Amino acid sequence: MFQGVRVTASSSGHELFVLGDSDGYVHLVNRTFEIRSFSAYERGISLLHQSKDSPILVSIGEDEIGVNPVIKVWNLDKNDKHGDPVCLRITRATIPNKAVIASCLAVSDNLSLMAVGFVDGSIIIYRGDISRERSSKQKHLKDDLPSITGLAFQTSGKVIMLYVATVSSVEVYDVTHKDKEKKIHLDGKGCALRCSILAESLPNNDFMVARRDAVYCYTNFVLGPCYAISGEKIQLEWFRSYLVIVAKDMEPAPRISTRVNFFSDLNRDSHIITILDIQNKFIVFTALVKDVSAVLIEWGAIYVLSTDNSLCLIAKSQQYDAQGLMEIFRQFGDHLYIKGDHKGAMEQYIKTIGSLEPSYVIRKYKDSQQVENLTTYLQALHKDGVATGDHTTLLINCYTKLNKPELLKEFVMTKDREVDFNVEVAIEVCRHVSAEDALLLAEKHCLHSWYLTIQIEDQKKYNAALDYIGKLDFEQAEFMIKKYGITLLENVPEETTSFLKKLCTDYEPNNKNSDGSSYSGQQKANPEDFIHYFLNNSERLVEFLEHLIQISSKWSPHIYTTLLEHYIHVWGKQTDHHARLQYEQKIMRLLESPDASYDKLQALILCKAANFKSGILHLYEQNKMYQAILKYHVAQQDYSSLLVCCRRFGHQEPGLWVQALWAVAPQQNLPHDLLDEILSVIEKEKLLSPLSVVDALSYSPNVKVGNVKNYLNKIFQTELKLTEQQKALIEKYTQQTKKSRNTIEGIRNKCSACNKQLELPSVNLFCQHSYHQHCFQTFSENECPMCLPNNKQILDAIQSQEQSKDLHEVFHSQLDRADDAFSLVTAYLGRRVFTELTDYSKVAMGKFFLIVIMDSS
Amino acid sequence: MSYAYLFKYIIIGDTGVGKSCLLLQFTDKRFQPVHDLTIGVEFGARMITIDNKLIKLQIWDTAGQEAFRSITRSYYRGAAGALLVYDITRRETFNHLTTWLEDARQHSNSNMVIMLIGNKSDLESRREVKKEEGDAFAREHGLIFMETSARTAANVEEAFINTAKEIYEKIQEGVFDINNEANGIKIGPQHSPSNASLPPGSQSSSPSSGCC
Ligand SMILES: Nc1nc2c(ncn2[C@@H]2O[C@H](COP(=O)(O)OP(=O)(O)OP(=O)(O)O)[C@@H](O)[C@H]2O)c(=O)[nH]1
Ligand SMILES: [Mg+2]
Ligand SMILES: [Zn+2]
Ligand SMILES: [Zn+2]
Repeated sequence: MFQGVRVTASSSGHELFVLGDSDGYVHLVNRTFEIRSFSAYERGISLLHQSKDSPILVSIGEDEIGVNPVIKVWNLDKNDKHGDPVCLRITRATIPNKAVIASCLAVSDNLSLMAVGFVDGSIIIYRGDISRERSSKQKHLKDDLPSITGLAFQTSGKVIMLYVATVSSVEVYDVTHKDKEKKIHLDGKGCALRCSILAESLPNNDFMVARRDAVYCYTNFVLGPCYAISGEKIQLEWFRSYLVIVAKDMEPAPRISTRVNFFSDLNRDSHIITILDIQNKFIVFTALVKDVSAVLIEWGAIYVLSTDNSLCLIAKSQQYDAQGLMEIFRQFGDHLYIKGDHKGAMEQYIKTIGSLEPSYVIRKYKDSQQVENLTTYLQALHKDGVATGDHTTLLINCYTKLNKPELLKEFVMTKDREVDFNVEVAIEVCRHVSAEDALLLAEKHCLHSWYLTIQIEDQKKYNAALDYIGKLDFEQAEFMIKKYGITLLENVPEETTSFLKKLCTDYEPNNKNSDGSSYSGQQKANPEDFIHYFLNNSERLVEFLEHLIQISSKWSPHIYTTLLEHYIHVWGKQTDHHARLQYEQKIMRLLESPDASYDKLQALILCKAANFKSGILHLYEQNKMYQAILKYHVAQQDYSSLLVCCRRFGHQEPGLWVQALWAVAPQQNLPHDLLDEILSVIEKEKLLSPLSVVDALSYSPNVKVGNVKNYLNKIFQTELKLTEQQKALIEKYTQQTKKSRNTIEGIRNKCSACNKQLELPSVNLFCQHSYHQHCFQTFSENECPMCLPNNKQILDAIQSQEQSKDLHEVFHSQLDRADDAFSLVTAYLGRRVFTELTDYSKVAMGKFFLIVIMDSS
Repeated sequence: MSYAYLFKYIIIGDTGVGKSCLLLQFTDKRFQPVHDLTIGVEFGARMITIDNKLIKLQIWDTAGQEAFRSITRSYYRGAAGALLVYDITRRETFNHLTTWLEDARQHSNSNMVIMLIGNKSDLESRREVKKEEGDAFAREHGLIFMETSARTAANVEEAFINTAKEIYEKIQEGVFDINNEANGIKIGPQHSPSNASLPPGSQSSSPSSGCC
């Protein structure tokens, strides 16, 4: 960097590196490594102090040999006429009567105090604004100290302390008040030049002193902890919370974590640089560097200046990219983990989230049963939104293991944060460890299926499940009850039934506040969907269906049929007579109800299957299956009912009596009057020929002639009467025929044209006119000459009607176009086209004629 | 919370006997299974109550390795109590007690209360030093004795608290000069006549600090 220059002093601050050389030059290096040099002394520079925040530079150097060193204060931002920084002050660092070398320099941050230490153990304190010569008062502290090796001001509030390191002691002066400087002896061991430093960012602003065996801290004016880093120390620097130690590489430092060789041609003058993280007691960096001449800290980084004046960056906080930082966190985490500080390690691991594969950390903590820390980590994963379902599962399990239900609750209920996990996974896990939370979670996220599955399958809390469903909107409630209805019905039949009732009639979610806004467009579930739920519970089904029917009458046949089926089913099972009767009434009421649109055929099958008599009969009647009723009674040998039936329906279906006859005939033990009545009706109504009756009766095993004597008598009598009547009629008709024949004879014998005796060939017409053929042909071609005038009129009428079809259209079109519509109508009327059409057509239809030519042969 | 007294302790003994673990168990109630060599001297603190008085224990945990012996010596001065620890599963750590005791007596003030601790009492199966031997050694040298386990925390509280009780009694008896801080005893802030001993910077720190 600076060829041929021997750097003898260095400092940094105000965004600058400041180097002083043996020729009295000050070199200022800025961030872009531009160098600005100016001559500050005639001879060498021994000490430099660059203020951190202001452009003030303090230097100590020599302008002449053997003369006391000179302190100069510069303002680097102001230039003199040569373009060099302005020198604000020149003060001789004088110990009265002595010429001693100044060994160290300290300036307080507010630039109001300056201390210079000398090799003879003297210290001079300069009070007042150091950039102004006049205001400055100096005080010589003479405590017979050994050679001073380090000075540092520590300001806390109004108290200002000056730490002093000498070759063989550590002291601290309270320099708060002028001329009341108080010394406290801290230790009987000292340190070498540049081997003490004030750790500014530590809570107690420890003064650190590096000795061969260790670095000791002085805290609160007593000896504090120490760090056993051995080796001959060259320089200490403080950077944020890191202590930078430069030592001679005599023996390997203990606990080297990373060793980087910056230069391959190592020689004896190699130095070892160790960076110690004081807060975590962890060596973050160790490297061998050839010939360190200074360690400089500026721009958030640590640089090493070698004796050959090459500047080398060894660590820069901002330079770590995210990945690099993560790696550091991980390594440090691993370190802490191995130490057993699992909690501390976790703090580091959490910083790696997003880069480090979580399983790396999880495995560690899982294997060692570090549930609490693992929980912390998993929480962090969730918070960062990188958690997978597995992580959620694990986290919930952790909460359970920790037996911290409140944490679990807090996690799953995500009060003040976004939901950062897969809800379904969480529910699934909670389901096994804390059903309560699973339920809350499901409820919160409206995962109704989950809620109900847990409540029903795991918890067996059917009523709660039902209540829950009751709070849902119609669609969801319907969906859910379809999913779980069967189970619910099995377990809480009463409640479920009443819920279904509601759902199918007037459902309204339970939780809807009754704010008067009644549910318009109420939805109803189709009860048919639920019927099969009641598979094993006819009574509930009956209850359900009865409710429906009560509420409304507009149900599908299936509903009624089902109700009927189950009525009958229950009826069939009843043993108690009274109950049976009750059900019988119910069934009949249903069957007879005009609203009940049950499927009649099915109803009949049901009744038959259960042999429910009144039902069967009712249905037969309804279906007009009177014969079936009849057969039924016969089968039941209920003859009186049979008679009643015949009497009731006989007039609608007369065949019934005959049926009855055929049906009863073969039966044994018939009541007397039965046959009598049947036969008398048959006889009266003449429903069956006596022969058939006899035929029918002949099947009877026990009907004797005597039993039917009455009938037969009546039959014979009637028959006789009939015969006589008919005989009389025959007589009458015979005579009439004779008469007619004579008349016909008469008519046929004369020709209507010539009025002479007819001879063949002749023409005989329907109009009863007859002609000689030649007469006919004379008067006409094929029409009766007598009737012709009349027929002519009819034919005209028909013709004109056919025309009138067209006439109508013509008339209308003419009417549309006519200028004088009235005269047009009058013209038509005059042609009589409208009036008499219908009359004529009637005539034409009724009286059309036909000509028959009778051949003489 | 301000304390009535501050007692300074030092924990000494061979490497690996469990000094750091005892401290960790006492201050953090945690056990660290891995031997993390103490490098230099570390520091821990905890409040206890004796006789209804809050007492702050400031405990210096030292490195047991031979190489660090000289560092340790700097810390005897100003300790009111010492926990001299050996490992009941390693006889040599018991054998070294005399050396430790000599060191302690030589570098500390004569009134220092020394508690002899046989640690790792949970490892009964690997015991090499009988409890009676520890007892005898303590009696012979005027020490208090206890067996502890940093792992199970057995007797850990007691070891630290009994030492404090002993010191406290000595104060009552007037054996300790409590005004000489070199004795490892400090009177708490509200008990001391002036506030001069308040640590500077404990409240407000310099503006450059706290940046990272
Ligand atoms: N079983 C058991 N092991 C213990 C006990 N105390 C400490 N250990 C183990 O012993 C080893 C050493 O413990 P440390 O506390 O680090 O030992 P140390 O005395 O501080 O050692 P140095 O720091 O080198 O002086 C560790 O592996 C501990 O886990 C105990 O009471 N029981
Ligand atoms: Mg230790
Ligand atoms: Zn004729
Ligand atoms: Zn005619």
